[in-house]
Amino acid sequence: MKDTSAKSAFGSPRFGGNANSIRLLRRTGLRPGALRPVVLVAIALVVGLAVPVSLSLELEYAISLAVFAVATNLLLGFGGLVSFGQGVFYGLGAYTIALGWMHHVLSFWEAMVLAPILGAVAAGLMGLIALRTKRLYFALLTLAFSQLAYVIFEEQYNFTSGANGIFGAMVPSWLNSPKNSYVFVLGLSVASLIAMWIVTRSRFGLVLRAIRDHRDRVEALGVNVFAHQLVAMAISGFFCALAGTMFVIYSQSTYPDLFLWTSSGIPVFMVVIGGMYRYLGPVLGALVYELAHHFLIAHTHDWQLVLGVVLLLVVLLRPDGLVGTFDSFQVRLRSRHSTDGDSK
Amino acid sequence: MCHTRGFSYCIVNELSVYGLSNLLCVAVFELGSTSFATQGARVSRVVIELTGLFSAAGSLFIVAAGLTLVFGAMRVINLSHGSFYMYGAFLTSTLVGTSTGSRFWLAIVVASLGVAVLGGVVGLGVIRFVVNRDPLTQLLATFAVFLILADLALHIWGTGYRAVPLPKSLSGHIAVAGTTIPSFDIFVVGVSVVVGFGLWALLRHTQWGWRIRAAVDDPEVLEAGGVNLRRLQTSVFVLGSLLAGFGGAIVTPQISVAPGIDESIIVSAFLVAVIGGLGSVLGTAVGALIIAAAETLGALLLPTWASSFTYVAVILVLALRPSGLFGLAER
Repeated sequence: MKDTSAKSAFGSPRFGGNANSIRLLRRTGLRPGALRPVVLVAIALVVGLAVPVSLSLELEYAISLAVFAVATNLLLGFGGLVSFGQGVFYGLGAYTIALGWMHHVLSFWEAMVLAPILGAVAAGLMGLIALRTKRLYFALLTLAFSQLAYVIFEEQYNFTSGANGIFGAMVPSWLNSPKNSYVFVLGLSVASLIAMWIVTRSRFGLVLRAIRDHRDRVEALGVNVFAHQLVAMAISGFFCALAGTMFVIYSQSTYPDLFLWTSSGIPVFMVVIGGMYRYLGPVLGALVYELAHHFLIAHTHDWQLVLGVVLLLVVLLRPDGLVGTFDSFQVRLRSRHSTDGDSK
Repeated sequence: MCHTRGFSYCIVNELSVYGLSNLLCVAVFELGSTSFATQGARVSRVVIELTGLFSAAGSLFIVAAGLTLVFGAMRVINLSHGSFYMYGAFLTSTLVGTSTGSRFWLAIVVASLGVAVLGGVVGLGVIRFVVNRDPLTQLLATFAVFLILADLALHIWGTGYRAVPLPKSLSGHIAVAGTTIPSFDIFVVGVSVVVGFGLWALLRHTQWGWRIRAAVDDPEVLEAGGVNLRRLQTSVFVLGSLLAGFGGAIVTPQISVAPGIDESIIVSAFLVAVIGGLGSVLGTAVGALIIAAAETLGALLLPTWASSFTYVAVILVLALRPSGLFGLAER
């Protein structure tokens, strides 16, 4: 059951569900496939609460990273904007909580509300400048912003305690329980993923994809490309910052390395490894990346080597990532089945 | 039109640019440094700061010129350029050991050539597959190479810091305007000027050079004319990595050689190449001076915001001129 639901969720929506589930859905009046997300969340909940604490913490982190990756993919896959500055918003989200706590100016919940708003504002401001450039220069300019944020938070020692980062009891005590924090992060992540899914299905999401594919044509139709991309950046910044707050819930600490350009690259890796042309591709990428990281660093010092080789292979051989590989495998399987049926 | 003019690998103005920023710095110091008691102390302070500035700009220029050269000829942005720099530095430190004699010179040559070989391997193994691909593919593929090389370097050289002693012949100081400046700084500046003019001569006055310029403007016609474009591009990539390795080798006495220098130099080299305009060697020279000047001024005027100062300068330049000062328009 677990196996098929996971497959069909990541697979093509055209071929969903077995006969039983379709009958069940007809009775309830739902579209086929509508229950898939519910099943996935239920699995995530059960697995997360059943496994040992160390693994459930790891899962919690991976799920929060999934939000980071999907938010990045709003720009990368849907908007065609290669941003190496996502760490800015992620770090900003984390630091909003940590600084609010350290300077006694914001309660946890106030910071939780403020963080995504700050992320969106920062992304909007960054977009105002970065969106003047295109493609490669956009990537390099966002990288420069990432580095700027890093040096600011590293140098302003009195305000941010610099490279040491901030540690402490900055989240409410009930979130210290691993189970509570797992459920909380899962709930927040699912809500974020649903919200972003709605964005990608909306008219706005459609126009964004049209800009990615035919910028000039869309511009000629009278669409304000700049404004659309700016809003996309703000939405992405909003959810990246939310993912950053979840990092604080998971680790109860922040440090300036969250802003570093190499950190900004991580969600990009996840998107590319998972597959950028499917909504859930980055989620798969985040889970695979973080779990592989977790298990590999326990056994080897060569995590970077493994990551580099995998990344190189994916980029050179399968630019559509794991999900794309799975899709084409499924298509090949189906075509073989159908020819078998014809010959009988 | 813009392509041909932007890619004018021309370096003749480098000296006048040096002169201009010299004046600017002196002016700023004159205004800012009321604490110096005498005119003489003020002048010697300016001389010391300028020496550091030009020396930093010189080594930055050598590394960033390789980056911009590769971008100009292949349209590939190479994140693993920083790894080549680090390998140049590590190889030099291994070869020099604790010697202060002439081994340093041999080490520089061997390290640069070794890195060029490594560049050839990367160029043939990875880069030629990502030429003409989208920027995301190029960035990620070269990022992957960066990660792999960083990991291998940890295996070969470990995590410790290494210091390379100054060669005896350059460990002295030279007296200028009532103060002394390290002769090694003068050496670095001299070498960077030689590299700049060398690149200019290579690109302007050799067949290889005009082929590269032609490859930038019209690769199809060049290929139809019987030139092996792929081999040409690989040779540029090897030259680019040689410059990175050389840049890493030559600064070893000034820095502590350790893992992580690949990560920091690539950002600086990018900033230099990007504000100068990717593809323009002259722009790179100007960019190196701007970055070095921003760092020096930042450290003097706003010590707590020193690094931020540099990035703000870069972002301002790019906001005003999205393709850099001397850059190619995007195709």
